[in-house]
Amino acid sequence: MALHAPPRLERYADVPYEEKERLFQEVKADPRFPDYLYGCYECGICVAACPSARFYDFSPRKIAQTLAREDVELFYYQLNEDIWNCSQCFSCNRCPRGNSPGGLITLMREVAVRNGLRSAKEALEGYSRVIYKIMSTGTQVSPDMIQADAFPDWGPVAKETAENLDLWRRALPPETMHTTTTAWEVEDRTLAELYAIWYMTGTMDIIREVDEGLHMILCDVMEELLEEKGYAVAGGGE
Amino acid sequence: MVQGVGNSRVFRQDPDLPVPEDVRERVLELEAEGEWVVQRVPEPYAEVPTKYGRTKKVPLAHTWHHKSCGQCGHIPGYSTAIFWLHRKLGLEYDDPRDQTSCTGWNYYASATSNAAAQAAVAARNFAAAYESGYFPLIHCGTSYGHYKEVREELVKHGELRRQVRDILGKLGRPFVMPEEIVHYSEWVYAVRHEIAARRVHDCSEVVVTVHPACHYYKLVQGDAIYDPDIYGGQRTAVVTAVAQALGAQVRDYSTWFDCCGFGFRHILVQRDFTRSFAVGRKIEVMVEEAKPDVVLTHDTGCVTTLDKSQFAAQVHNRKVGVPVMSEAQFAALAMGAHPYRVCQLHWHAADYRPLLEKMGIDWREKWREFEDDLERIRRGEKEYLTWEDVDAEVPVRHFVPAS
Amino acid sequence: MANDAVLVVGGGPAGLEAARGAADLGARVVLVEERDHLGGTPIFERYAALTHGFQDAEEVMERLTREVTTHPNVQVRLLTRVVGCEGSAGDFRVRLAKVGDGTSETVHVGSIVVATGFQHFDPGRETQVYGYYEYPDVITLVEAEAMLKAKRFVRPSTGQPPERVCFIQCVGSRDRQIGNEYCSKVCCGIASKQAIEIRQQVPNCKVYIFYIDMRMYGYWENEIYWPAQEQYKVQYIKGIATEIIQKGDKLLVRGEDTTLGRPMEVLMDMVILSVGMEPSKGTREVARVLGLKQNKYGFIEVPHEGLDPVATSVPGIFVAGAAAGPKDLDDTLSMAGAAAMKAVATVRRAAASPAG
Repeated sequence: MALHAPPRLERYADVPYEEKERLFQEVKADPRFPDYLYGCYECGICVAACPSARFYDFSPRKIAQTLAREDVELFYYQLNEDIWNCSQCFSCNRCPRGNSPGGLITLMREVAVRNGLRSAKEALEGYSRVIYKIMSTGTQVSPDMIQADAFPDWGPVAKETAENLDLWRRALPPETMHTTTTAWEVEDRTLAELYAIWYMTGTMDIIREVDEGLHMILCDVMEELLEEKGYAVAGGGE
Repeated sequence: MVQGVGNSRVFRQDPDLPVPEDVRERVLELEAEGEWVVQRVPEPYAEVPTKYGRTKKVPLAHTWHHKSCGQCGHIPGYSTAIFWLHRKLGLEYDDPRDQTSCTGWNYYASATSNAAAQAAVAARNFAAAYESGYFPLIHCGTSYGHYKEVREELVKHGELRRQVRDILGKLGRPFVMPEEIVHYSEWVYAVRHEIAARRVHDCSEVVVTVHPACHYYKLVQGDAIYDPDIYGGQRTAVVTAVAQALGAQVRDYSTWFDCCGFGFRHILVQRDFTRSFAVGRKIEVMVEEAKPDVVLTHDTGCVTTLDKSQFAAQVHNRKVGVPVMSEAQFAALAMGAHPYRVCQLHWHAADYRPLLEKMGIDWREKWREFEDDLERIRRGEKEYLTWEDVDAEVPVRHFVPAS
Repeated sequence: MANDAVLVVGGGPAGLEAARGAADLGARVVLVEERDHLGGTPIFERYAALTHGFQDAEEVMERLTREVTTHPNVQVRLLTRVVGCEGSAGDFRVRLAKVGDGTSETVHVGSIVVATGFQHFDPGRETQVYGYYEYPDVITLVEAEAMLKAKRFVRPSTGQPPERVCFIQCVGSRDRQIGNEYCSKVCCGIASKQAIEIRQQVPNCKVYIFYIDMRMYGYWENEIYWPAQEQYKVQYIKGIATEIIQKGDKLLVRGEDTTLGRPMEVLMDMVILSVGMEPSKGTREVARVLGLKQNKYGFIEVPHEGLDPVATSVPGIFVAGAAAGPKDLDDTLSMAGAAAMKAVATVRRAAASPAG
């Protein structure tokens, strides 16, 4: 039972308590958890420093409190409703108790993603292109991501960049930066090593949990290069 | 002195009082225990002061440039300016292809990651640097902060070290931890007086506001640079110290410690937050309180967010319209770098031309030169603009550090 | 042959009371003080009223000091430091050096009371960003106390009386990042006392106290906390500030009002940082010279075996006051009395059985 019920807690009334408890225990079991949460005396420093608290109904202090009180119901609510509002600036690391509410939120996000929660899938909608870039090219952001229709609010520069992309990239003195689909030129050997890391650390399994289509595309791209470079991990890492 | 900041009190660290544990000592102990190899900071290096009064070694040359995806991808004058400064000071560096991004986006934005994947990606890059013989200099504030967190995690958790060592073994790479994790803005801080000595444009009329990057000093704050002469040692000194050395007027504003609003996922999928925060909490406050000619910062996401968020607000007649760039680009401009060939300001959204005029830079002439370059490339006379094309514009004046 | 004298190190409230107590019990006392005057921190830092009973700090300390300096059993050595020590309970040979000229002497004593006190936390070491070294109108309890004593409570930047003042509690205390995990015990009481004094001296000034917990032990509750709220209308807000920054000619204080659960930004004319206690340099140095165990914060460790709050790790050496950790004046004086009794008992026991 939640000690203190926030509005709309009943939204998750049909999720069995055991399932909420299981996810809570998964967060707690992370080896980083004890480094991120000691205890909380509610000084409010994390909230004062938090940009998201100014914009959303969001409180890093409440996240820390909920986890410290082991309030499973409230935890499950936050896991679905709150954690994606954090802007990951880590201003909350000023906590005098040494807590890292931002760190706790990353652990919660990882659990939400790993377990394929619907809220996590929704949060990652429109995000698969970035994940694709990160995982398949070795650079997370690339010049061709600036497209006028995707960034109309960035003004004429977005349109101009997109229109002149190839030319402008050629007009860069560093020889590694003439690329358009990656931020810089990455060697094949380097890419193969990166792919091998995804397989060896279970990252591919995480992707499959949240986006099966993306998982298939990535496997296609990666397995070819891994084979070529003589890595046997493809498929076996899953 | 920063305008609006300062009093007669002078802070001195008391060396006898307790300070948090120095993770670098554990890094060396783990080397002695045979857990990993520690890559030493090569000479020549500068020793700079940090938060708790300790010093940190910043390599001046022989650096392996761990590039930033956001910089190279969307504001390429940022990375180019960092390289250009090295070239003009005659300090040798390596711009590698055997480098990936950190996995900051996976970690901070989407959480499609875990501790082992993050640590392995960092360690792979460290191994690549070590094998090249050059020392990592990290361009991105997030990569820098993230790698410091990874270092803490690897130091604390033996099981994670074992996992990463196994992975690197399978890749045929050594397990390496650099002696120091160094951000490029620490290098700029370390050579700021050399840069100032090479200044060709007057900056004394330029009003600067500084946005310090959260991931530079809020993650593992113990080894961010704090200098008793800048803000009384109470705020990180990078960027501000550089602008001051160049003779610009740095002014304080009341949301100095706020983040830019980048938020990782927010700038892509919760963009109302990013725009509102960047404009309402940062740019407008700066304009009202300090009337800056330029906002200087030292991280990828901050430049992008603060620069690109202003356009939409203009429509609503908000107080915006301040150019945003890195201190590296600003320093390069002051040293005579080409605003387009080197600083690539045409990738920036907010109008930078008034700033260039104030610095005495004829942007019309420079743009014409750059358009000629583009035309030559377009016609196929040149395949690319190269370092050779820009190196001749400003002579190299070798910085010979005392060893 | 054991000596019948007691050495008291430190001439503040604890040292003075220990010296007076031991002398009244008939022992010869050597009182050593590094500064050129007695009275300790309350005099050196120009304290105004004391929390208990609002008595004038200078008057109270002068009365205590006079009783010690005029006592026939007490010898006072000003500008003197302890630089060496040999022997054991009942038979210590302690080397004293004169500050400045370097001359030294060795005194022979049976027991020692360490009363070397604390120093105020330096806000330059804060993890939060309070701007003490950036903005003149950010001050500490220490500077506020001196201004209240002078009856001239003004904004340092303008010399004018403030209209809005706030206190920020727990500066340098209860903080894992700084390494001071303990509560400094007195700051809640002192801040509330100063808040009352500000309201008395500058009646138009609104006073706020931002706190995590108000720790108003025992009679502080009814003597200070309630009157501050009820009679003097001091505003208590649960939530601590993380940043102070200049905005125009005011200070912008950012925190969370945790009762309402929302970020809060308020403008103030002055901010007073309620700085906590750390072991004084003298405490750290004397602990080293006498070989006393220090706890992780640098205070002298009290082993707490058998309910003995004045024992140290070395038999025959006792500790009183804030050298052993944060203390208010009542606790300090009580400890000093207990230390005096134990010190005299040690001397007498040694005299009774010289072989032991």
